[in-house]
Amino acid sequence: MKAYKYTLFALHFFLTAAGLYFLWTLRPEGGERVFLCMLLVLFWALGLGYYLYFRRRFIGFSEEICRRAEQIAAGGGEKGGSMAEHNQETLTSKMVMELEKMEDITRNCLLESEREKEQLQKTVSEIAHQVKTPLSNIRMYQDMLAEPDAAEEEAREFMEIIGGQLDKLEFLIDSLVKASRLESDLIRMKTGSHRVFPTMESALNGVVRKAEKKGIGLSVCCDSHIRAYHDVKWTAEAVGNILDNAVKYTPERGHICIEAFPGEMYVQIRISDTGKGVRPEHYNDIFKRFYREDEARSEEGLGLGLYIARNILMREGGYIMVRSKLGEGSQFSVFLPIAPSL
Amino acid sequence: MNILQTKDLTKYYGTEPLVVKAVDGITLGIEQGSFTAVAGTSGSGKSTLLHMLGGLDTPTGGSVVVDGQELSGMGRSELTIFRRRKIGFVFQNYNLIPNLTIYDNIVLPVELDGRRADAQYLKDIVKALGLEDMLGRKPGKLSGGQQQRAAIARALVSKPAIILADEPTGNLDSHTSQEVIGLLCATGKRFHQTIVMITHNDEIAQIADRTVRIEDGRIVEGR
Repeated sequence: MKAYKYTLFALHFFLTAAGLYFLWTLRPEGGERVFLCMLLVLFWALGLGYYLYFRRRFIGFSEEICRRAEQIAAGGGEKGGSMAEHNQETLTSKMVMELEKMEDITRNCLLESEREKEQLQKTVSEIAHQVKTPLSNIRMYQDMLAEPDAAEEEAREFMEIIGGQLDKLEFLIDSLVKASRLESDLIRMKTGSHRVFPTMESALNGVVRKAEKKGIGLSVCCDSHIRAYHDVKWTAEAVGNILDNAVKYTPERGHICIEAFPGEMYVQIRISDTGKGVRPEHYNDIFKRFYREDEARSEEGLGLGLYIARNILMREGGYIMVRSKLGEGSQFSVFLPIAPSL
Repeated sequence: MNILQTKDLTKYYGTEPLVVKAVDGITLGIEQGSFTAVAGTSGSGKSTLLHMLGGLDTPTGGSVVVDGQELSGMGRSELTIFRRRKIGFVFQNYNLIPNLTIYDNIVLPVELDGRRADAQYLKDIVKALGLEDMLGRKPGKLSGGQQQRAAIARALVSKPAIILADEPTGNLDSHTSQEVIGLLCATGKRFHQTIVMITHNDEIAQIADRTVRIEDGRIVEGR
């Protein structure tokens, strides 16, 4: 319905009022009076006609919208089928498209919860798979220990192996708990505008000794005034995981460099190493849960570190990117938002 | 559920025997809420594909269905309205109107449709993309990264069914590219938008949930 209907109503109201005014003040006689009365009746009838016409159209419009809403509520039905209502410059068309958008959003929410269920099932089976190996190792060595003719020397060795497997299991369970808490939003990040340097420092503390053991040089370059919106503890964990990988995959006497640069929207923390590098086709995969490159299998690890790091950063409104040259090294860039907008 | 589905999509130029097959039988489904990167070298047909997905180009054969509606069945004016309501575009060269302010540029698709932008939603988008202080300025006064952020806001504002981005970082330096792509991904996730992005750069493609690789008009990876 267009805005001109209001002008029409106003015009009719004005003309009828003017007619009545003339009739009242000038009190015309004979033919003039009949003419004026007829004119008034005509205007009145026209006004009524317009009113009824627009009312009918409005009811038609409302009914159409209700009909479409019912169709959508009943399961979308002929969405996209009745092209007459789509892609037109009419109000009905706009309303129908808005209703469909609403339906899309609702359906998407449902799909999301189904997806979450599937994800949970997948997680459980992956965890079962990961726990199985150390458990069966423990079981095997325990059985061997239980044998009466086990030598003392051998028994000590088995005990050590069992201890190692238990450490592995403990680490696995710790990591899994962290990952699942991050996934299910159970962790409340204490984000705020903090200086980046102390965060980098606490991340570095976790790897200094390991790096020293391998003779890897560590260099840090960060303006102490740079601030970013982040949770100090969790970001240190994320950066720490990346650094841990860097130390793990960099050969002895290699070099790791960690720098921070402020950008327009994000602060970038760049961790470069001289390690074995990542193939470009695996850029996406290395952040997946339990993913390990074939070349990386010789090193100890679960394939959870980068996955946890990415989850932490995403929760903070940041993200992570990798750039690498095979055999020459990798560069991981962590982006932390400057403002709490995301 | 797939918000976008193509079936045996083809685009040929020229006539026999000198036919150039820009897109040669692409069947692709894009899931609602996902971020898909279509990667390929220049000349692999990825831009032609994106233009057909957005109804900017007509295919030689096959079909494109966006949000339950078949594009080939639409007339010109229907297609224009459909694009305005259902598809958000982000182009390599931003395509902002130079004599309109950033605010006017952002709300343009909604106002062209005779509607008003949802004020709260607009405020959220502007804040998320860090455009608060630039709304009154003209595009010419902004850097490339800022202009592209405004273009992302313009694509988001009408809450389209899908956002198509054609080399959104093609004109930006490496650092700004990483920032803009991070923002595109973060805002897409936050506002539950489906995004299809064309890129020739593996580094940029890594941020997507899924990468589809195209060579000589055919999908070679990531079906």
